[in-house]
Amino acid sequence: MAAVLAALCLVGCGKKAENPSGDQSKQLTIGVAFETLQTEYWVAGFEAIKAELKKRNLNVVEAIADGDANRQLQQIRTFVTRKVDGIVLVPKDSKTCIPAIKAANEANIPIVLFNRPAAESPGVKSTAVVADNRKLSRETVEFMIEQARKTGKKHKAMLIMGDLGDINAIGRKDGFYDAVKGQESVVEVVAEVPSEWNQEKARAGVVNALQASPDISFIFSSSDFLFPSVVAALKSANKYHKMGDPGHVVLGGFDGDATAYQMLVDGYLDATGVQDVYFEAEQSVQALLDSLAKKEVPAVILDPGFVIHQGNLAEKKSRMWGANVGKK
Amino acid sequence: MLKRLFLSDYLVLWLCVVYFIALIPFTPGFASWSNLQTILAYLLPLLVVALGLTLVLIIGGIDLSVTSTIALASVVGGKIMSSEAGWLAGSAVAVPVGIAAMLLVGVMMGVVNGFAVTQCRIPAFIATLTTMMFVSGLAIWFTQSQKIGGLPAGFVALGQKLWLATAIAAGATWLAHYVLARTLFGRWLYAIGHNSRAALVSGIPVQRVAFAAYVLAGLFAGLSSILFTAGLETGNPEMARDNLLDVAGAVVIGGTSLYGGKGRIIGTVFGVLFLALVDNSLNLLGLNFYTVTMVKGGVILGAALLDALRNKLLIS
Repeated sequence: MAAVLAALCLVGCGKKAENPSGDQSKQLTIGVAFETLQTEYWVAGFEAIKAELKKRNLNVVEAIADGDANRQLQQIRTFVTRKVDGIVLVPKDSKTCIPAIKAANEANIPIVLFNRPAAESPGVKSTAVVADNRKLSRETVEFMIEQARKTGKKHKAMLIMGDLGDINAIGRKDGFYDAVKGQESVVEVVAEVPSEWNQEKARAGVVNALQASPDISFIFSSSDFLFPSVVAALKSANKYHKMGDPGHVVLGGFDGDATAYQMLVDGYLDATGVQDVYFEAEQSVQALLDSLAKKEVPAVILDPGFVIHQGNLAEKKSRMWGANVGKK
Repeated sequence: MLKRLFLSDYLVLWLCVVYFIALIPFTPGFASWSNLQTILAYLLPLLVVALGLTLVLIIGGIDLSVTSTIALASVVGGKIMSSEAGWLAGSAVAVPVGIAAMLLVGVMMGVVNGFAVTQCRIPAFIATLTTMMFVSGLAIWFTQSQKIGGLPAGFVALGQKLWLATAIAAGATWLAHYVLARTLFGRWLYAIGHNSRAALVSGIPVQRVAFAAYVLAGLFAGLSSILFTAGLETGNPEMARDNLLDVAGAVVIGGTSLYGGKGRIIGTVFGVLFLALVDNSLNLLGLNFYTVTMVKGGVILGAALLDALRNKLLIS
């Protein structure tokens, strides 16, 4: 058993020799620790970071915690033991990551949190690269309202919320309400569906809301990954129609995943707010390098993201990570 | 010599030693002092919960709710002690009350499981599966999915000062070992696991002993929750949610039979140590995630096969 592991290790060690720089002594090593790879978004983010590191000729060591905060803490300590030069972390949540950040701080290893910021804690230093959830949601919903206005009728709206323990979900909810405020002549919010980031709960909630208000014609989902649930509920209520059809429900989302891309291509989705994974990956690596160069790095770097819709799909799809899932 | 080693009760320990020595040359920092501390910090809470599971498995039972108990105890303790929103925020008694409440949650869960299994005659798998589901939901409802930070420094030290966490875990291990190996109660546990009907005929209070085993499993889960929660400085309704199979795997690798009547605390210690070594070494090797998952499964399967082969040889 140990021999097999040793052989695997040799394979792993062999990878380093393939590095094109040829100068191992000067090559920096970055630890990349993700909480999970269970959704397309995290896989896309993971691959984008590794590609960015490779592009800059940096070594990478990776660790996935499988949703276990205790394991993630061990993995960060392991990175410290390995004397990595920097760490990119997707934490399990904003609070259980504090001891991990402290461990990196104590070892003077710069640490960047990808897409999830840490809670405020005295003396704990990190940089977070996060989407501007509120702004991007507001822009997406504003675009949807413009589409709704063109129909010339008043729309009843449904908001599908995420897990309200997640700061990202709260930002998206706030962005939705920022956009609909003052637009009561076009959109009236009649349903809030709490999904807790669970597809089954989302589906049951959307079905119930459509039964209570069958004339709902405007839906914003706080994440694209809930679209399969939304679509199933709309189909069973015979309300899933393409744009331009009189029965079309104005649909919008957030993330920019592969399902949303396909729905845009097929003409069912009006718009989605795309988290620019490539921008976030680039900024994460740059922040680490700036820290190592003793440059000033802000505590939060915001990804403005962009709204993608039928009008700019061809132009923007190359930066929509969902359009690139599965491509190599 | 090799055969004697193979048939030894300490097979898993020898596996740990061989594994450790074999990987040192290939795994940067594996034997460093800081890494050994990392391994120890990781395994201590797992070890404590595994102790309770060992007692339950020895009577031929199972407790699937131990990790949910950890989560519930974690948020109850957090709600009491947190300086941000704790019921006793800032009070001098916050830490002792919080710790007592966490242990009490564990005991209460043990009482519920023990009552369901021994008095209501619900199969242990179903009884603890349902309490696991109920308690997981309860912990999330109780906090509305929020994590609880701001835990007092005096409490956090229990998980983060390694000597203190080690002392707690060592004390729990010694207690479990003493109960199992040196007391009449321990012998009754084995007897029930071998044949509960024969144990009953022999005058052993089977129901009361089995009930106590579940209560002890709950108590150890509560203690483990203290180490988890203090180590991560957070009351978390999802604490240890994905650790159940790791813990059960470690106990079984350590030689405890899923059918009851067999197992030792020292074996559980070695089982947890083996899993922690594998986990740590795979992180240090820098293999990709998919390889790590497959190799970990393969290594554990290999250890289980070796143990099964050893048992077969011993019987023959």
